[in-house]
Amino acid sequence: MTFSLIGRCARTGRLGLGITTFSLAVGGRCEGVAANIGVCKTQAFPNRTNDPLGIKLLAEGLLPARVMEVFSANDSEHAYRQIAIMDRDGRIAAHTGPGCRGWAGHKEGTDCVAFGNGLVGPQVLEGLISGFLTRPEDPLELRLMRAIEGGRDAGGQGTVDAHKPERSAAIKVVDRLDYPDVDVRVDVHPTAVAELRRVLEEFKLYEEFYRQRALNPSQAIPQDVFVANLKSRRA
Amino acid sequence: MTYTILGRCARTGRLGIGIATFSITVGRYCHGVRAMTGVTVSQAFANETNNQLALRLLAQGFTAGSVLSHLKSNDPDFEYRQIGVIDRSGTAAAYTGPGTRGWSGHLAADNYVACGNGLVGPGVVEAIAAGFKAKPDADLEERLLMGIEAGRDAGGQGTTALHKPERSSALLVYSRYAYADIDLRVDLHATAVEELRRVYGEYKRYEGYYADRGRNPRGAMSQEAFMSKLQAAE
Repeated sequence: MTFSLIGRCARTGRLGLGITTFSLAVGGRCEGVAANIGVCKTQAFPNRTNDPLGIKLLAEGLLPARVMEVFSANDSEHAYRQIAIMDRDGRIAAHTGPGCRGWAGHKEGTDCVAFGNGLVGPQVLEGLISGFLTRPEDPLELRLMRAIEGGRDAGGQGTVDAHKPERSAAIKVVDRLDYPDVDVRVDVHPTAVAELRRVLEEFKLYEEFYRQRALNPSQAIPQDVFVANLKSRRA
Repeated sequence: MTYTILGRCARTGRLGIGIATFSITVGRYCHGVRAMTGVTVSQAFANETNNQLALRLLAQGFTAGSVLSHLKSNDPDFEYRQIGVIDRSGTAAAYTGPGTRGWSGHLAADNYVACGNGLVGPGVVEAIAAGFKAKPDADLEERLLMGIEAGRDAGGQGTTALHKPERSSALLVYSRYAYADIDLRVDLHATAVEELRRVYGEYKRYEGYYADRGRNPRGAMSQEAFMSKLQAAE
């Protein structure tokens, strides 16, 4: 069980993935997010070779729908996978194999695709998409955060009688460069979505400081001074 | 301020990073590992473009020392960087620029680089190297974690008068695949090294189950059933 949303910022072309699940350390299994290429995520019973392969195929110029055909032909257990793919132009392909357990499905929205399995029902996908669409002018990472929260608030994983907690969560966003722009994680936590919100908000406070420190080291203030300034601004 | 161990397992060729620092979400800056290619880190005032460039150079066959020369020639602020590189043969190279702050330094030898800046003293990198070398037969992830824990126990970051806590940490290991074997993070925590040990301990119990579930989905037991089995066995 897992629920995820792949999204694209139509303004900037930034691409990203927001994900949360009952399994531990899910962010360590999200390597299919590549700047200027696309996003590919395989979940449920994941074939770990799919996502790196999908990124290579998208980079070759294949359409998401064609990548999905290749996956199907390349995997004897395709029926047990749940996969969503988005390319740099926002084209989408999604697959929820009949072997996925619990309520499972996917749904496209404007600049996004929501997908999940082991969920309380289709309302979780609605929650993901409406969370993502709430404030389209916001940076993509905040939209992805709101998407995951929307999925959680719609009931998330498990059944109406037995809710499954989110124990890990991650948001990854790429811009133009070949390393992540935003990459925040919670690996083992009883309420991983709330904890991810805390980590993301803290990261956003430091993000520009870290960037400038690397670009202009001779002018950088020490982090202690930056942290003290942050504290006094909060007070 | 940060302290790090880059390591290679001489037996298996697996490559990895263990890292802890006062900065938050350090794992976001640790994308310099590629299976059967090499491992690199850029820290202190990190040039973020270094890691992917270094990996491409390693993939082309450049040695660790040669990669370091390339990074130097390509960066007007090279003296503010701290960099470690290990190539696929296990040759290691490292650099600590004079512009890095606090006590800074590195130890580089076959199959490892221990390095750090803003540390209480040279004892920290010596302890990291000793921790990494303590159990050469253990899995690389365990050895990397032991390196980081030894660095913490030797005083870690700050000064003797003013210790700086570890607020984030990460542990990454690649073997033969395009995806990581181990990729664990603590992004924001008061004692991030202890928390990384906890996350690692939890994850290790599930690791085989997660791998097998993906490879053999037919008849895979549910995660709840797996957890009940775990509990019964413990």
